[in-house]
Amino acid sequence: MSNAKRLFLHFRRTPAFVGFTLFVFVLVLNIVVQGPTHFFSSRSLNTLFSKNMPLLLTTMAMAPLLISGTLDISIGIQLALVNVVSIMVFQEWGVSLYVGFSMGMLASLAVSALCWALVSVVRLPSMLASFALIYVVRGVNVLIMNKPQGKVPEAYYKTYDSLIGGVIPFSALILLFVLLIWLYLMRTKFGRNIYAVGGSPRNAFAAGINPVWVQFQASMIKGVITGLAGISLTLMTASGNPLQGEAYGLRALSACIIGGLGFGGWGSMACAVFGAGFLVTIQNTVYYFFNLLYRIIPGFTVTSYWQNLVSDIIIFFGLLMTIVTAKEQREALRQGFVKQFKGGESATQ
Amino acid sequence: MFEMCEIDKSYDAVVACRGASLQVAPGEIRALLGSNGSGKSTMVKVLAGTVKPNGGNILIDGEPVTIHSGLDCRRLGIATAFQDLSLIPTMTVRDNILLGNEPKGRLGMVDRKKSLREVAALLDRFHIDCDPDAYVQTLMPSLQSMIEVAKAVYLKPRLLLLDEVTAALHRDEVQLIFEVLRQLKAQGTAIIYVTHRMDEIFEICDTATIMRSGETVADVSISDATLNGIVFHMTGQRPDAQDILETEEFDREGSDLVLDVEHMALYPKVRDISLKAYKGEIVGIGGLEGQGQPEFIRALLGVTRPEEGTIHYMRKEVRFHSPADAVNHDIGFISGERNREAIFPDRSVAQNLFAGRAAKGALFRYLTTKVVRDFAQAAVEKYNIVVGSLRHPASSLSGGNQQKLVVARWIAVNPTLLLLDDPTKGVDILSRREIHKILKQCADEGMTIILSSSENDELLEIADRVYLFYEGRVSGTLSGATKTPERLVAAMMGMTREQNGATREARRA
Repeated sequence: MSNAKRLFLHFRRTPAFVGFTLFVFVLVLNIVVQGPTHFFSSRSLNTLFSKNMPLLLTTMAMAPLLISGTLDISIGIQLALVNVVSIMVFQEWGVSLYVGFSMGMLASLAVSALCWALVSVVRLPSMLASFALIYVVRGVNVLIMNKPQGKVPEAYYKTYDSLIGGVIPFSALILLFVLLIWLYLMRTKFGRNIYAVGGSPRNAFAAGINPVWVQFQASMIKGVITGLAGISLTLMTASGNPLQGEAYGLRALSACIIGGLGFGGWGSMACAVFGAGFLVTIQNTVYYFFNLLYRIIPGFTVTSYWQNLVSDIIIFFGLLMTIVTAKEQREALRQGFVKQFKGGESATQ
Repeated sequence: MFEMCEIDKSYDAVVACRGASLQVAPGEIRALLGSNGSGKSTMVKVLAGTVKPNGGNILIDGEPVTIHSGLDCRRLGIATAFQDLSLIPTMTVRDNILLGNEPKGRLGMVDRKKSLREVAALLDRFHIDCDPDAYVQTLMPSLQSMIEVAKAVYLKPRLLLLDEVTAALHRDEVQLIFEVLRQLKAQGTAIIYVTHRMDEIFEICDTATIMRSGETVADVSISDATLNGIVFHMTGQRPDAQDILETEEFDREGSDLVLDVEHMALYPKVRDISLKAYKGEIVGIGGLEGQGQPEFIRALLGVTRPEEGTIHYMRKEVRFHSPADAVNHDIGFISGERNREAIFPDRSVAQNLFAGRAAKGALFRYLTTKVVRDFAQAAVEKYNIVVGSLRHPASSLSGGNQQKLVVARWIAVNPTLLLLDDPTKGVDILSRREIHKILKQCADEGMTIILSSSENDELLEIADRVYLFYEGRVSGTLSGATKTPERLVAAMMGMTREQNGATREARRA
């Protein structure tokens, strides 16, 4: 067996495979619909990255939580918290926006610690606790900023929208930064512990790991990435809005599941990236697909709701596909058991 | 020298250990033996840090130590291979073995090359042939057991605890583990070995500590112990393997065969079970815990689907798709796991009693409260359940009364065949006696009852015939004159006539 083939077979067994396949499929579709020259132009790539960085990062923030066996659906409104804190600190205290961003990051870490305390220490069900947190955080947001306001200096958002060397989108650098940190973490002890705790807290405890502490570490990583997502959102919208971003929470969760992350110890950061990539690309594709229709069929006009319907149906099939493949894996496993045991039986007789 | 002194542990009202003690020296392989509920698993869990004892001391070389977590164990050099495995199913073999003990490399990262090398060497030592990067959940159970042992050995412990690790293994795999154990013993590791396979004890162990009802009853050296002696200590009965019927064709002329199971298999727990039940008979199923009894009962009921074998019910071959299907064929099921599988705690006593009846009949038939209440009232009077009011929730009853409630629920619909899985587990003696009375009465009225029980006395008392399960097979059938405690114990331990003689000869030689 050639090396490449072995690598492929190994990759096929990893949880990221389904997400990868879906992502590549839609990506190719997107390139075809939009036309390769148009798609690969740096302007279009830059828009794709800078517009979708908040969702991509939110999904990546969710991944460590899911791996460690918890989740946080209030992550979306937390982006607005970062946004609100950054803008208000900058505007009211008259300090540099960097100080504002730092305070926003701290706020994100504080909410993450609160969520961790509720879920891992007090042991409330994570779905309920984080659902309740949505309302708490939203209230805090409105307290800090009672109506949409504020403005980010042009220099900042121009940088965010810029192309480094005219090729690489600046926002892609944030993605790269997070990925590199994560790659490093996965090669440390923490990288093993987080999977152990998510896979089976009891057995991890028996192996000398403190599950609550590992979940705290995961929460802090989530806090940092959420902070970056919030900063991206601020730079993207260039203003403050206390009630935006709530939908990111559930979208990030569904992106994780489509990408192949399970609830506890199954999946990887690659799953999150592919899952979010799938969601982002599908919307892009459908947008250009409808543009194509407008051009081909004279007089064809529909509202943008139709675009959403089409992309949501495709996402639904993507979710369905992850379930089908998971079932296939289970079935193959079960048959393996039966075969092995029958083999063993005849050997001893 | 590792010592456990005067360990006490009780779960609610159930006493698991009562002043139990255990000691093991470096270079010694000590068997820890005991029957169902003897407390040996609790002793292992205390030493592994997963259970906190109510009293007693643990001493290492005379120094008292406290063990509260897996971390304490690692610090003290204690490693455990658990029966129900401590592997993380969603992680690879390599990550599992190294978990918590990864070799350190540069910048706080795990040394990948070294970890690859060490895991390869370890797998080689145990002759485990598998990909170190395979996810544990995709491996077959016997391989997982081997990896569980390898993982414990990798920690290079001073004390190695092995809790029934060979239950899922084949003979040759057991030999591989024994080889490693002998090496460890030569290096001065203390080993505590828990098993129910007697031949393994004589092969590998030096000494044995025997427990019964939470107490340490004997401390023997294997070289001058006999199988009969050990089993006597474990059960308080002298085993007698004479006249245990073994899969012999049991055919009763004239009476109605209600259930006839032939060669049922549901791997890994149930391997080959044949069982017959006649009209008006109480058939007992006994054996040590975890020999496939609950799996067998649930396969009969259609919860799981047997992989091999046939089931004839009322002379017709059947294969139930679900418990509902079985109930429609007049089969009732009573589980010992009241809270999980039988009681609706927040529903009223009357509704609980009616549940068995409600499972049958038309789905949208209109039920008045009166129908339910009258039905329940009749059942309460007939089966003597003490209730304050039929309207009170079932959770307000005592454990014994709850169990009677479940029994009454099914008896009241008068099934042809009633399956019971350890129905008197944790039930007080009075309620137990009443349940027995009800069952006997029903059998006299022509109901067929299959009763699985972990209590030998219960089986001997009320069962007409007893099948003993051992490692997913029937190791003996007792009835009439052969239904004695001695024979039951022998069959429970998987002792057959030949094996018993052979071991005795081996001892003599």
